[in-house]
Amino acid sequence: MQRLPIKYAKPGMVLAKEAVTEDGMVLCGPGTELDAAIISRFQKAGLEAITVEGHPVRLPGEKGLRERIKELEMRFSRVKGDPVLMALMKLIANYWVEQEMPPDKSQQQK
Amino acid sequence: MTTMSSKEEIKARLKEVQSLPTLPAIVTKLNEMVEDEDVTAVQLGKIIEKDQVLTSKLLKMVNSSFFGFPQRISTVSNAIVLLGFNVIKTLIVTSSIFETMQTEDVSLWEHSLGCATVATVLAKHHGIKNPEEISTAGLIHDLGKIVIKAELPEEYEKIVELVAAEEIPMREAELKVLGVGHAEIGSWLVKEWNLPDRLTMPIKYHHAPSTAKGEARLAAIIHFSDILIRAIGYGSGGDPWVPELDHDAWNKIKMGKNEMREVLDEVEDKLAGLANFTDELTQGG
Repeated sequence: MQRLPIKYAKPGMVLAKEAVTEDGMVLCGPGTELDAAIISRFQKAGLEAITVEGHPVRLPGEKGLRERIKELEMRFSRVKGDPVLMALMKLIANYWVEQEMPPDKSQQQK
Repeated sequence: MTTMSSKEEIKARLKEVQSLPTLPAIVTKLNEMVEDEDVTAVQLGKIIEKDQVLTSKLLKMVNSSFFGFPQRISTVSNAIVLLGFNVIKTLIVTSSIFETMQTEDVSLWEHSLGCATVATVLAKHHGIKNPEEISTAGLIHDLGKIVIKAELPEEYEKIVELVAAEEIPMREAELKVLGVGHAEIGSWLVKEWNLPDRLTMPIKYHHAPSTAKGEARLAAIIHFSDILIRAIGYGSGGDPWVPELDHDAWNKIKMGKNEMREVLDEVEDKLAGLANFTDELTQGG
């Protein structure tokens, strides 16, 4: 799944999490396929970001997963002796890997 | 030529500088008023609202996605009630620093904003009262770095060179060049603003929170927020490395794997929501 600022919302994307405004109002549930009307409703409600299935958008400046993990390891290079921080590094790496994975059983969308 | 400056010398030099974020007259006045226990938020708000430029900056900030209040805050007195006087005071004193950062040191601004975001999430997980205070502490935890860059440019150049040449963290380079680190320099400033320990301790001790003389848990939160935002790689605090973890501090705020995943999720949510934040602040209207 991917978290996207609302300006990247496109018809056809599928919500991976419910769309909730800052004040806790739920606009749509997970599994909803976006269309122009829904996106415009999100914008009117002041929704800032949505979480969608898969990883449909390469955001400006966004790097590929392999590069991100390489950089993650570099950032932790001075604290390799610390088991707590090493566990944190693994946790973040796994979190990123899972995020980029396509939704469970559904077909791999491109 | 590498003349080592002493801590006292640096302190004296910073005192003489004109452009430092010293306490604006309005804050001195507000501080005096707050000593009177009967003073109300409305009275404090009225004093601030006399300054229209300040009022508009302040309302823009408190209404931004950073604090994320559901309803629009339209008066300064409402802002004081909702966020507390200490947060409002900090925002007044630092508003010009933030403006400079947003244009001149975007990566440090992002690092500060990111640290504040993590702190907000951690405050929620740990049931911290007045979470806006700890968010604000996160926002200004690297104040010392801005001061070094702005007021001691020659030394700043040397620090940056040392970081690159010796591959050492910025705070180590600061100690070599200045004899004092950014956390302590930042604490000199906030001390003059008459802020409570809840805000000053996390700034002064964010690299060694277990030595904080009070508010050790809040210092631990900012310490770990700094680590986590560097780990994620959002913005830059002057060098690319994750700093050492203070384990005594970690024991105060320890979280298991599942909770840490929730934290990562919430931080990512909030950071995505803040994508337009800097624009919100810098655009007119």
